Amino acid sequence: MSAPRVGLSRLWRYTVGRRGRLTIVLILAAISAAAPVAGWHIVGDAIDNGIRARDDGRLVADVVAYVGIGVVAWLLGTATWLMLAGIGQQMVLDLRRGLFEHLTSLSLRYFSEQKAGWIISRLTSDVDALSDVLNQGLTTLVVNTLTLVAAIGGLFLLDWRLGLVALLVLPPGILVTRWFQRRSHTAFQDVRTRIAAVTAQLAESVAGMAVVQAFSREQAFQSEFEQLNDDNRRSNTYAQKLSSVFFPAIELLGVIAQVAVLYAGARMIDGDALEIGTLIAAVGLLSLVFQPLQELSELYGQVQAASAAMEKISTVFDAERDIVDRPGAEDVGRLDGRIELDQVVFAYGKEPVIHGLELDIPAGGCIALVGESGGGKSTTAKLVARFYDPRSGAVRVDGNDLRDVRLRSYRRQLGVVLQDPFLFSGTIAENIRFGRPSATEDEILAAARAIGVDRVAARFEDGLDHVVREGGAGLSAGERQLISIARALVADPRILILDEATSNIDRPTEILIEQAFDTLLRGRTSIIIAHRLTTVRRADEILVLERGRITQRGTYDALIATDGPFRRLATSLQGAAVRRVA
Amino acid sequence: MNQVDPPDLALWTTMRHLVPLWRAQWRLAALGLSCALAFTALSLLIPILIQRTIDDAIDGGDRSVLVPYLTAIAVVAVVRFGVNFTRRYATARIGIRVEARLRSMLYDAYLRYPRAFYDRHATGEVISRATNDIYPVRYFIGWGVVQAIQSLLMLIGAGIVLTVVNPRLALTAAIAMPPIAILTYFFAHRVFPISREVQRKKGHLTEASDEAVVGIEMVQAFGREDDVRNRFGDRAESVRHETMRQASIEARFLPGLVFLPTLGIAAVLLIGGREAIAGNLTIGEFTLFVTLLLQLVWPLEALGWIINLGQRATAAASRSFAWLESIEPLRERRPPLALPEGPLPVRLEDVRFRYGTGSEVLRGIDLEVEPGEIVAVCGPTGSGKTSLLNLLPRFYDPTFGHARLGGVDVRDVSLAELRKAVAIVTQKPVLFSVPLRDNLLAARPDADWSEVLDACEAAGVAEFVGDLPDGYDTLIGERGVNLSGGQRQRVALARALIAGSRVLVLDDPMSAVDTETERHLVENLRPAVAGRTVLISGQRLSTVLVADRAVVLRDGVIVERGLPDELIRAGGPFAELFGEEALVA
Repeated sequence: MSAPRVGLSRLWRYTVGRRGRLTIVLILAAISAAAPVAGWHIVGDAIDNGIRARDDGRLVADVVAYVGIGVVAWLLGTATWLMLAGIGQQMVLDLRRGLFEHLTSLSLRYFSEQKAGWIISRLTSDVDALSDVLNQGLTTLVVNTLTLVAAIGGLFLLDWRLGLVALLVLPPGILVTRWFQRRSHTAFQDVRTRIAAVTAQLAESVAGMAVVQAFSREQAFQSEFEQLNDDNRRSNTYAQKLSSVFFPAIELLGVIAQVAVLYAGARMIDGDALEIGTLIAAVGLLSLVFQPLQELSELYGQVQAASAAMEKISTVFDAERDIVDRPGAEDVGRLDGRIELDQVVFAYGKEPVIHGLELDIPAGGCIALVGESGGGKSTTAKLVARFYDPRSGAVRVDGNDLRDVRLRSYRRQLGVVLQDPFLFSGTIAENIRFGRPSATEDEILAAARAIGVDRVAARFEDGLDHVVREGGAGLSAGERQLISIARALVADPRILILDEATSNIDRPTEILIEQAFDTLLRGRTSIIIAHRLTTVRRADEILVLERGRITQRGTYDALIATDGPFRRLATSLQGAAVRRVA
Repeated sequence: MNQVDPPDLALWTTMRHLVPLWRAQWRLAALGLSCALAFTALSLLIPILIQRTIDDAIDGGDRSVLVPYLTAIAVVAVVRFGVNFTRRYATARIGIRVEARLRSMLYDAYLRYPRAFYDRHATGEVISRATNDIYPVRYFIGWGVVQAIQSLLMLIGAGIVLTVVNPRLALTAAIAMPPIAILTYFFAHRVFPISREVQRKKGHLTEASDEAVVGIEMVQAFGREDDVRNRFGDRAESVRHETMRQASIEARFLPGLVFLPTLGIAAVLLIGGREAIAGNLTIGEFTLFVTLLLQLVWPLEALGWIINLGQRATAAASRSFAWLESIEPLRERRPPLALPEGPLPVRLEDVRFRYGTGSEVLRGIDLEVEPGEIVAVCGPTGSGKTSLLNLLPRFYDPTFGHARLGGVDVRDVSLAELRKAVAIVTQKPVLFSVPLRDNLLAARPDADWSEVLDACEAAGVAEFVGDLPDGYDTLIGERGVNLSGGQRQRVALARALIAGSRVLVLDDPMSAVDTETERHLVENLRPAVAGRTVLISGQRLSTVLVADRAVVLRDGVIVERGLPDELIRAGGPFAELFGEEALVA
């Protein structure tokens, strides 16, 4: 069964620091695994030297030894179970934490390429599959494997000639095992692919259920799903068929070995070369060789699942952190906030979307990026936040290349407000506090007031302590945005990025937010992305971005007075209004 | 209001639901059980034959019967191989079929569940209920049930064989049975609640990972990685803690299940050994006792596993069946009324609505929209625009009042007919991972291609389709091309136009398109929707001005209605909403 081990070998590194304990457990498990083997030796001795020799004292001594070994095995069994579970669960915890830490340090590029549901399954159900094996499975695996080895060893120790006879079934055993390994490896791979297809279809329909229902596509989706579900059932059935052949076949070989040993044993007794008790013990030991196989077979599916899970988990670990601190990167200290983009070129894939961008925002300055969607506005903002690194050129803050400063120290001085704000489950206050966990109650309250969140909170019985569910269900887009702005304010950032922060918001709410911006932007460097003229007006300088290049820049008044891209944008915005109202 | 988050079902009710699933596979179950019976008999026969071989051929000295006995053992073993294969394959198939069936039942239900269900449950939870949660059910129903029965058969069978051979010794061997039964009972009793607790803690962990992954941009932007890691780490630790509590109970009970039979064997060794010395028991019979008792260890251990598995399976099944039993799909009137032919006016009469037990978000709405008319629903965020629009395709039902199409209450029409008559563009457009062409045709697969092209022209899809690698055949989604927000909205708009519905509901359909494109869309929309009844909501004046008439919502009440131009001049709530934009103009 080497196939599963490939996937699971990664687990080995989580034994670091626990290998001492692991060795002890293995020794204890080996002793408890040897107990049934010793048991058969005792039974053999009881027959030959107790019963046949009519020695009652010997019989009693054997029984006492038998019970003694049983008690030891029992205590050791309990200890092994506990220790293995302890080690296993600590490994699971480390794995889970490590996986989560790795994930949260991956760049946005990774998260835009993978679906959230896919990533979450790695953290939950896949780790659970490993946990299952490490918890109940590991004990069974270790003890049974050791019992198997001990039984074979015990057989040779008892009578090496009978041991050799039993080895007759080894060649067919190896053949069957190899056949099974090859077939089942592909079969289980097929099962995995098919269940993945089922899950993908399920995920897509659940995410898009509103549309499925609105357009009455239920039947089409149902039949597509039935097809995938049925394919999965079929491939599962085939995989199970293989296991159903393999394990009974091994069991059959076990009986054949017993028959061979009985035959050879009878011949040896004829030659007075063997006592009957030894023969009985040998037959008993052979059943000990094959019984663990039965238990292991029940575990096989679980181990397969765990190995598949580990493979998927590994793909996450293999994703490289592309935004990392350079060796020797230093904390930036409190920023003045000057931002420079120097000949920045950036591409998501092959084709650059930013072509040699030049930008210099003085500390405390405010610039606005405008232009049609796809022009590179958000990408520019993400480069400033160092969600991505430029392909060539550099982004500098206070004269330091962003790649040379410690990311955390920089991001802590950054405030970001996005078009689609994300709220965490917790109270409104907690969501504001997310910007700076050390903020006092008063600071939270002040920020809430300054932005007008107190007005939102007044709608609820608990006010700021109202619990929002993940994603902010129950709050409107505008209300969520106000909370996320308060969050940025409480973070007291040196640099602010407002990416379409007011796009989903009605005018009266926007006016409130505009007022809040006065507080928020004061003394801070800011980059505003907007398609509303009223929002960009406050900027010191407006840049028009088209297809990754700056095509026009200047103050609002200068730009609106010039016949150029900005004026075209501005009139297209107002055009409809002008035509209707006029 | 429909219940969308029912409590888990009780054990008994869960069983009542599981049994029919199992019974539906009765052929396989009967095959599996009869094979289990045969397997048990053959497994008992082999040690008996070995005992005979020892007594008659080896110890007895009649070597002539040695080969016939051994041949018989080999033949029995071969037969057992066939029986065992059939048993395993049959029981595995039961599990696999039940898994597929349960998943299909859930999916079928998902397709029918109301929006309120999806508001309440995270996507991950809904998916996992139909995938990971089913596995324990599969193994329990497939392997578990048959193995449990087989274990019991083995216990009974071994008991009978031993009693026949030597009743007194059999009774001695049975001394271990009562403590085993007691131990098993206490184990089950102790492990059940903890196991549930483990599941609960895992739920909390999923929640923490969900948030961090979905909100990763916020986490990174504020440099808050350590906080979410701590939060996640704490929850992972409490999962570990609970799992360890469970393990410590297992460790205390399960090795005991292996130890207790040892006591039985020890008793047999002593008493049976003395009987053998006295000549009342043959060596072969003595061996049979020891062998059979040892053979019982695995069935007993398996019982322990099955109890564990059964607990997990019923816990998972109780959640799934709670959904299947208690969440009602949207109720449809039987027999349904038909919508009138021809253009469909929309009428809302004193409509009130609340989400679940929340406060009312619509408080007495009266609104009429004539065919061929476009009405804009305006209002500040949170005023109830989306809630109002969602009533027309019955994403939700009003808690009071009526929503009527052509005079018929939407609840009296069959869902299929209603949704054919009403096309909606939702706030966040959803496209599927299929080619663009199929996305466009989703609502009406048999639409003429020329109609599709017209709609794409009007919705601004034609404008960017040339930039896509395979034009209309470009695969959309994660495995294909990721469209921008604005592009997705345009595809969703085209899809709704192609649906050819008499009523069109557009919920802020242009929020993500740039102003240039919006102007183009606004110009083209009027001719494209001619003759239909249209409701549109929007945040920008430029979107709203496409309408003939506008109503302004505030806190769930219509506070103003009229022609957009007049409303602006009137200086009321509408002007307040869009005032500055109009002023710029």
